[in-house]
Amino acid sequence: MSEPAIVFERVTFTWPGAAQSALEDITLRVEEGQYLGLIGPNGAGKTTLIRLMMGQVAGYTGRISVCGRDPEAAARNGCVGYVPQRSEANLAFPLSCRDVIAMGGAARQSGWIRASSEQRGWIDRCVDLVGASDFAGSPIGAVSGGQRQRVLIGRALACRPRILVFDEPTSGIDTVGQRRFGELIATLHDELNLAIVLVSHDVRAIVRGAVGCERVACLRRRLHFHEAPGGLTPQVLGEVFQHDLSDVFGEVHVDAHHVGECEHHHGRASDSGDDS
Amino acid sequence: MKLFEYLDGSMASFILTAMGVGFAIALLGGLLSPLVVLKRMSFVGQGISHSAFGGVGVAAILGLTAAGGWEPYAFHGVITIFCLLAATGIAVVSERRRESEDTVIGIFLVGAMAFGALLLHVRHRLTGATAGIGWESVLFGSITEVGEVHLALSWGVLVLVALILFTIRHQVIFWAFDEPAAAAFGIRTSRMRLITMLLLGVAVLASMRLAGVVLTTALLVLPGAAALQLSRRIHTVWFLSLLLSVVGVLGGFVLAVETGLPPGPSMVSAMILLYVLSWPASLWRR
Repeated sequence: MSEPAIVFERVTFTWPGAAQSALEDITLRVEEGQYLGLIGPNGAGKTTLIRLMMGQVAGYTGRISVCGRDPEAAARNGCVGYVPQRSEANLAFPLSCRDVIAMGGAARQSGWIRASSEQRGWIDRCVDLVGASDFAGSPIGAVSGGQRQRVLIGRALACRPRILVFDEPTSGIDTVGQRRFGELIATLHDELNLAIVLVSHDVRAIVRGAVGCERVACLRRRLHFHEAPGGLTPQVLGEVFQHDLSDVFGEVHVDAHHVGECEHHHGRASDSGDDS
Repeated sequence: MKLFEYLDGSMASFILTAMGVGFAIALLGGLLSPLVVLKRMSFVGQGISHSAFGGVGVAAILGLTAAGGWEPYAFHGVITIFCLLAATGIAVVSERRRESEDTVIGIFLVGAMAFGALLLHVRHRLTGATAGIGWESVLFGSITEVGEVHLALSWGVLVLVALILFTIRHQVIFWAFDEPAAAAFGIRTSRMRLITMLLLGVAVLASMRLAGVVLTTALLVLPGAAALQLSRRIHTVWFLSLLLSVVGVLGGFVLAVETGLPPGPSMVSAMILLYVLSWPASLWRR
């Protein structure tokens, strides 16, 4: 059996100069084609976890493997497509939406190598997959926030990743927007069989199934992993978020069942995960 | 026109050499300018070019002040080392210490100027000599100091910068457009920053002799700024930047020859005129 897409084994990480570790004894496995939702409050270590996954920080203890290799090597080889929380892109740049999508595919290419017809065809497919055909020729600074997010997803797909990582993709998006986003992710998941990790502090978006994830993990320095559909209760969420969420998410237990429905929707059962 | 008279007379070789240098530094400015403007690095050229003053001070202490023989080459060699060290220093310090780039540039700029002024003062105390060669030509550039060696140097630098920029164009555009995402895509952003700084450093050095320290920055800002007013397509912007830079530099050069004005200010005036003329076009484009 091939190595899972992402493996964290007993990973602990402390930022230089910090008194307390940002992540403590994290053990996590995401198999090929699996869709994981990772929730946690602000400051829980979600972004640190992503940065470790992307090979952007060193100095951790334990083992991390991404696409069967060191995370930095995996990032350099285009194994991971990343969709940031907030784009810090310079929107005054004279680039069309298609140019931005193509950028993801050319990130490791020498300027002397001309894109092949096959590569151009793949970029066209990415434009199509994210539903950006209608505005592909528009300047990146002239499209709406939702359209820009589709372009950034297209850019992440353009490097032909095996894993797609989303950082807070539903933040600032209304319920309808979240549904549309969920549909887009379902399409990508079904068509490309990518492993997807969606990180969010937006409990509603994940546990109510708006974004359609198969498994849910809760992070607050330590990882509290839960098999969908059971386990994710208002009590657990209250413990992770250190706040009583039962009145706000009274139907969370039912929503945990929604997560199960997502599994049914994607036609796969969740694999075993490691509780920590 | 005086230019044609010069070209027919004994000055032809001198004028053609200076025009050749002007053409090369125009293309250099046109190549780097869109990147400088889009990455908001306009202040960088200023920081690197003003670091030359530190080199002037070191050259003075070393006694490299004679106008003839090998000393002018050694003088500019010291300035080159100083500017490249400044370019590397700005890149490394802003990366490692997480200081904002403009703060680091500001520190290097005033630091190098103060260092140069102190060394000149020390030399004056020790020997009673004044600055000798250097200050004026470093500040404002000079047609008379441009020779065939400088012509070869400026074209060599142009070819080097063009080759490097073309090789890493995908990565450098990604980095300039969205640095955090570029890092997530496996692009070594600190390397991109260092390469860009060094390219700017050598471009500043190639331009300094003709345009001068103070005005070299204009070559790295104005062509790109004007081109961005005219197009929203990146390849068109780069083409227009090259074109406007050549028109501005050679137009300013002709103006300098015709009127006897210094070349640096004439070139910058021509470029500012082109930039102002680009405004109505940008309004029409909207």
